[in-house]
Amino acid sequence: MRYTSVSFAVCLPSSQTNSIFYDVEQLLGSLCISELVKNKMKADKAVEDVGESAKVAGGVTFEWLRQAEDASLLTTPARPTATDHGDSSFSVIEEFNYWRMQPDLAEAVAAIKALTAVIRRSQASTMMGLEIELKNASEALKAWDETSIPLSAGCDLFLRYVTRTTALEYEDIRAGKARLIERGERFGEISQKARRTIAMLGQDFILNGSTILTHGFSRVVLNLLKLAASNGKHFNVICTEGRPDNTGAKVAIELLAAGIPVTLILDSGVGYMMEKVDMLLVGAEGVVESGGIINYIGTFQSALVARSMNKPVYVAAESYKFARLYPLEQRDLGPSPCHVEFVEPVPEDAKVENTARDYTPPNYLTLLFTDLGVLTPSAVSDELIQLYL
Amino acid sequence: MIAAMPDYQAAVDDFVTRLRRRQVEGSLITAKLTAELLRQVVSHQRLPNVGQAAVLIDVVKSVGLRMIAANPIAIAAANRSALRAPSLHNLLESIPDPVKTPEAPAASVGDSDSKSRSGDRNSVSWKLKHNVIEGITELLQDLDDYHTHVAEQALEHIHQNEVILTLGRSRSLLKFLLEAKKKRSFQVVVAEGAPRYQGHTLAKELAEKGLQTTVITDSAVFAMISRVNMVIIGAHAVMANGGVLAPVGMHMVALAARRHAVPFVVLAGVHKLCPQYPHKPYTLLNDMKSPAEVVEFGELSECFAAGTGDHTTYVVNPTFDYIPPDLVSIFITDTGGHNPSYVYRLIAEYYSPEDYFLQ
Repeated sequence: MRYTSVSFAVCLPSSQTNSIFYDVEQLLGSLCISELVKNKMKADKAVEDVGESAKVAGGVTFEWLRQAEDASLLTTPARPTATDHGDSSFSVIEEFNYWRMQPDLAEAVAAIKALTAVIRRSQASTMMGLEIELKNASEALKAWDETSIPLSAGCDLFLRYVTRTTALEYEDIRAGKARLIERGERFGEISQKARRTIAMLGQDFILNGSTILTHGFSRVVLNLLKLAASNGKHFNVICTEGRPDNTGAKVAIELLAAGIPVTLILDSGVGYMMEKVDMLLVGAEGVVESGGIINYIGTFQSALVARSMNKPVYVAAESYKFARLYPLEQRDLGPSPCHVEFVEPVPEDAKVENTARDYTPPNYLTLLFTDLGVLTPSAVSDELIQLYL
Repeated sequence: MIAAMPDYQAAVDDFVTRLRRRQVEGSLITAKLTAELLRQVVSHQRLPNVGQAAVLIDVVKSVGLRMIAANPIAIAAANRSALRAPSLHNLLESIPDPVKTPEAPAASVGDSDSKSRSGDRNSVSWKLKHNVIEGITELLQDLDDYHTHVAEQALEHIHQNEVILTLGRSRSLLKFLLEAKKKRSFQVVVAEGAPRYQGHTLAKELAEKGLQTTVITDSAVFAMISRVNMVIIGAHAVMANGGVLAPVGMHMVALAARRHAVPFVVLAGVHKLCPQYPHKPYTLLNDMKSPAEVVEFGELSECFAAGTGDHTTYVVNPTFDYIPPDLVSIFITDTGGHNPSYVYRLIAEYYSPEDYFLQ
């Protein structure tokens, strides 16, 4: 296969790009660029120059490749690699499940790590071949869990990045692969960084003496609240029971450990408590194109009550949760049933509606705290375009 | 050169003091003075050979921070100083900055590059300053012109035989109405805007030009609102979520307008845009003025217990009101009319994300 050293056209979006791709600059800085590419760069003024630094005489050496691969492997915790490559779709799902078990890892990140593993095990000899393998793997993942939005958002995002990267052709498939692998590995760090950014942005909005209502279990929200508490703010949190998953108890445990007073209420008690509440703060499973959010069932209800009583509704979500969806009504989400245990036995003829999540339209939301900054719901679609372009 | 430094330091100190004493008031004046001051700072600043843009940005930031500390409500000042940073950031990108090659191993090609760069390094540094100063001058011109651009759109919004309501006084509003007066005949109802009663001044100015004007008290706004076609006001600042900082009393007018479905139009030059989100707008973004404007010092002395000096009465005199974005129908800026939900776009155009937090 012959690869021409095409101009290093890293068509990064404008400086307002999201922090996910921020690391690419540093990554580029440490990559060596061959003489050829550099000269082509100078000649080709049409290329947008990122202004990165490292210039090394000579091409991509074997030495460097080995170093790059070592670097990417360093960050991986010990993971038994599957010996059999032939059954790739099955191992993707296994991989995904393994990563999902990690307590602090979001689903989207787990998906991306699984796809990274696919790249590592891939035997493809061209970037196109690699892309096709990844596409198949991502389809398999999505088919395995059709209802999960963070999963498909994560897959889409990574695939988008891969497609954009394969637009640049490398001299060696291994160089391209190594770079994609490193990117995937970095993603885990980025998601932690995203949570920190969100916590920093959001804690300004938590005022001393305020009462915050929260619904569902979100690590981002918990981070935010813990940061605000550690900065010396005094506030108390009301959290809903969160049937059927009993998220309320989990949230209460975490918050009490951080010294934040917690009150648990019934899901149906939201209207009753709303007059005492200063704001509603929730996480999101997915943020859709209209600026609305998809979250644990009951979020829409709480937002509705909050809006009608003029309380602000804040959402804390990382940017990789932005999904290419535009639901017009609740049914557009696709079914995601969950197991509900009723205390009284349900008569056989009664139907049960047990969806696990709902859609909150953007006009009920006040602001979204993301790692791209604080956004109004109308700004979300703009950011989405930049992410996916 | 060393003599030049205390020169601009003195000017900065003087300006900061005036800000703190609230001797500089009004977003336009603040913006103009800030821009002029920054122009002075930039032209006097000696730039090193490497990392020029970074040094310039640092200097501008430090001056800006001092100004904000002096008067946080002079957000216009913050706007301007922050605005300079995006133009600096853009210039930083366009000029190949030699600083960005930290661990470049000694390569023959690298050396020749740096040699050619050092040749025109001086011209590059001069160019950078020149561009920035040009930018600031352009900005000052824009500030002078913005009234005209806003007023040009008056005919689109004010129609024949309409009744317009406003509160207090705003220069852009005055020009706006006078521009519309050239082709249309309409009436204006002006609420006086206690405790400064600037509505009286506006009413006089309008009446001199032959516009039929009615002056009402602030409390009469709700009574009059149903007979009014449109409310037009000038803003002090526009926050990133589309919220408006306006002279005190405006929130009440906005609520009355919403109640009777009267369009609420806000005139705001682009220099009033502020990239911050209001966390606690009613108190944090407000300036409490002397209560003497509301109640004379001697009048309430009976309320204070003799001898012990216990306070049973407080007099509060806030300067600004915060209007949430859902009460505003349209913003008329020098670039055209915009929805409140579009403000984030305008902010993105004029500011780069690094400028959102100066600290």
